[in-house]
Amino acid sequence: MTKKMYIHITIISFIIGFMLAVQYNTVQNPEKQETVDVWEIRQDLSDEQKRHSQLLTEIRQAKDTVRKYEDEELDNPEAILAQTVSQLKEVAGVKRVTGPGIVLTISPSLEAMEFGYEINEIPPSLLIRLVNDIYRYKGHYVEIGGQRLIHSSAIRDINGKTTVGSVPLGKTAIEIKVITATEEEAGKLYNHLMASTFMDEFFIDNMMLQVGQPQAAITIKATDVEISHNYLTEYKGD
Amino acid sequence: MWLPLLGLILGIALGILTDIQIPTVYENYLSIAVLAALDTMFGGIRAQLQQVYDDKVFISGFFFNIALAAGLAFLGVHIGVDLYLAAIFAFGVRLFQNIAVIRRILIAKWEDYRVKKRENSSQSR
Repeated sequence: MTKKMYIHITIISFIIGFMLAVQYNTVQNPEKQETVDVWEIRQDLSDEQKRHSQLLTEIRQAKDTVRKYEDEELDNPEAILAQTVSQLKEVAGVKRVTGPGIVLTISPSLEAMEFGYEINEIPPSLLIRLVNDIYRYKGHYVEIGGQRLIHSSAIRDINGKTTVGSVPLGKTAIEIKVITATEEEAGKLYNHLMASTFMDEFFIDNMMLQVGQPQAAITIKATDVEISHNYLTEYKGD
Repeated sequence: MWLPLLGLILGIALGILTDIQIPTVYENYLSIAVLAALDTMFGGIRAQLQQVYDDKVFISGFFFNIALAAGLAFLGVHIGVDLYLAAIFAFGVRLFQNIAVIRRILIAKWEDYRVKKRENSSQSR
């Protein structure tokens, strides 16, 4: 082999190696293309901002509590502890709550009764959507057909019956009570529900959703279900 | 023999380390170009072993084959016929033929070498 030929073959094999490696790169890890649309990004951003403001609100509340503790520590520590416990009980659902809110009623539609249609159970998926929307519009405490919704309540179909926390709802008029933080928020929730498509969606299932006017005081009873806390242990401090 | 191998390894290392990628649309062209390049290289080695190696033929063959293969693939895409298969077939067949010829020549050379060695040892006795 001449020296010149050697060099040529080396250059060619270098080019082949490079091409092979590029081909390998391309086949093995194809670049992921960004296919998110600007509006989706804006939506994500707005969701994050909402969460941001919610977190800020929570931080402010926690700071308020801390300040109260500090102020009243010397005077009356027991009272403030009792107040916190009572607040926590309200949130957990083991205590009766009274506050401003609205009452929704779901009943068989007049047409269904007139024509003698069979009345079906409320579809759990629709009820879940309604509850999610209520929570989204700042409904704090919810009671469906006498059952207080707590963190572990499940709305589901059990043997063809729609149940809330394992208790069947029944087919006749069902009351949903919602308590909000302020009367203004109750008004907002009312307006949202009136403008939403929920009424039409219930009507498809031969049911009628009536949204009551905001009221100054609604009472929601405590949950009957025993809240299990097998995995919680006492915090002993640092 | 080690210099071309070093070139190949260097090329692969450079390609993998720089992590260059080409758009997926051009993947076919590159694969066909790799095939054309391999064909040219084995053709060159065969020509050298048969003592008909020519620089001009080798270098021009390398670039011309790659361009022709890519051009055929490009034309195929635009007229809706998988013409790149023609290039793959042609280069594939030639690749096998070239390697077969290289193998035969190497075996023949080795046989020659063995015969000569035996003759040498018998003469020296």
